[in-house]
Amino acid sequence: MLVWTRPGKALTWIAFAVVFGVLVLAPFVVVIAAAFAGTWNGVLPSNPTAGHLQEALSGDELASLSVSLQTAFLGGLLAVAFGTWGALAAHGSRFGRVADALHHLPIAVPSVVVGLGLLVAFSRQPILLNGTKWIVVIAHLVLMVAFSYGTVAAALQRVDPSYADVAASLGASPARVLWQVRLPMLRPAIASAAGLSVALSMGEVGATIMVYPASWRTVPVSIFALSDRGQTFTAAAEALVLLTATVLVVFTVDRLRGRAVEQ
Amino acid sequence: MTVQLDDVSVHFGRTCALEGLSLTVAAGETVALLGPSGSGKSTALKAVAGFVRPSSGRIRLAGQDVTDLPPAKRGIGVVVQQYALFPHLRVADNVAFGLRAARKPKAEVVRRVAEMLAMVGMTSYAKRFPRELSGGQQQRVAIARALAIQPKVLLLDEPLAALDAQLRADMLGELQKLRREVPEVAIVYVTHDQSEALALADRIAVMRDARLVDIAPAAELYATPPSAFTASFLGGANLLPVESVGEDVKVAGHVLPGVRSTPGKELLCIRPHAIRLGSEGVPVRVIATQWRGSSNQLTCTVDGLPDVSVRIDLPADSDVPALGAQVSMVLPAEACSLVPS
Repeated sequence: MLVWTRPGKALTWIAFAVVFGVLVLAPFVVVIAAAFAGTWNGVLPSNPTAGHLQEALSGDELASLSVSLQTAFLGGLLAVAFGTWGALAAHGSRFGRVADALHHLPIAVPSVVVGLGLLVAFSRQPILLNGTKWIVVIAHLVLMVAFSYGTVAAALQRVDPSYADVAASLGASPARVLWQVRLPMLRPAIASAAGLSVALSMGEVGATIMVYPASWRTVPVSIFALSDRGQTFTAAAEALVLLTATVLVVFTVDRLRGRAVEQ
Repeated sequence: MTVQLDDVSVHFGRTCALEGLSLTVAAGETVALLGPSGSGKSTALKAVAGFVRPSSGRIRLAGQDVTDLPPAKRGIGVVVQQYALFPHLRVADNVAFGLRAARKPKAEVVRRVAEMLAMVGMTSYAKRFPRELSGGQQQRVAIARALAIQPKVLLLDEPLAALDAQLRADMLGELQKLRREVPEVAIVYVTHDQSEALALADRIAVMRDARLVDIAPAAELYATPPSAFTASFLGGANLLPVESVGEDVKVAGHVLPGVRSTPGKELLCIRPHAIRLGSEGVPVRVIATQWRGSSNQLTCTVDGLPDVSVRIDLPADSDVPALGAQVSMVLPAEACSLVPS
């Protein structure tokens, strides 16, 4: 403990509250307030309305939410599968360090570059994905694999290899060892990777904005477009929707993880 | 069924973890691999189990070469140091793991699991998860799980090392009892604790620096250790340099009556409890005394042997000489043996 005296502690807490409040909480509060504001000319918003929220939950904007959820689940879950596979394969291999570096490449590179790369690579035959939803899903998959891989690889480091050894000595085939011992023991890490991937995917803009076709526009891209057109209140309402959806999804995934740990 | 290691070496990169181990364990025999950490004893066990691949040498089970077989095809029961009970499976499912892997009929699995849990006295814990068990209970489940597949060979890697002293003594008794329950199984028991090895093993293989130092029946190894390392590691014997004068042996200039000199063996080995204090003996000076409840241990220096200290265990009820006192120690010939230095 660095601060011992009572006033000293009170002072540090107050300083923390101010910094946290201004930098973290205030923007949230402003977004929520703007989502329900009819006009905002003075210090506080006026003419409260639910109209923006209705707009954000209808037509194109509602479609955006569905697109975001589909992308997050498809991209995120594929990323968990690939990331787990990669981590298991790299663990204890002499190419482990190379695999580590390769898997972390997508987060080391700016996401806009990842998006541009995909756009350039898949805009021509033989693999033409530009203009389809798959290029968005793949962009998310590529970015989220890094996080999934990292989470699962870190968990693998902590698992004693003797579990798999003992399972094998009891006569279990490698497949049985994988499905009945190694993967169940990694379940908390895998669930955690899934939560992280889905949450990050829900908020991804950088790469998405480079590759998305008009038919597959995610919520963050819609928010960007709305705010770009000056429709700040609708953008705020859409942001609120995104926030709520993400929190719900992550909370649900986290509950799954909680159960896995209890077992 | 015998386990046979034939000149087995294990290298990890440049490090040599096991160097040319040859060893045979007969059906129904318990062999302890005893040695300090880094002596290669665990590596030897892992090689038999198939967890590490020998860089040279062959391993045979009942005459069949299994060197290139994966662990799953060897049918060996293994209990590792931290037990490695599968944390997501209940006790009964842990014990059933090997039986299900072998696709045994359901009824047989249930029957065999009940039998095994009864044998280790864990029947009422069948529905618990491993983390709800104490160390000793986890150990019993690990043994039940290893024996459920009816192995002909059981490998135990420091099974008592993770337990506290009192529990260790209890479990040692349980292991002796268990030994009698599976009389035909060959057991390899890896430990760094000489008392476990003496209590459980028919033969003890003493290991050091990746090599086998000595192997012999436990009693023989204790009574007449063939090497200085075994003498001190097994039972903490005192080692005193001797001079040979004709047939006689001298310690610090004093002739030991009844001990006959042997060429090439220049160290006298004697257990701390075998030394008595008397009037006619080798003069020593007491530099430390330690009361151990059942005995008093003296640490003494020998006049004329500057680099040697001698430990003497005196019965608890005997008089303890004061610190710095000059006493003389009697080395009974029947308790002395000579080893090469």
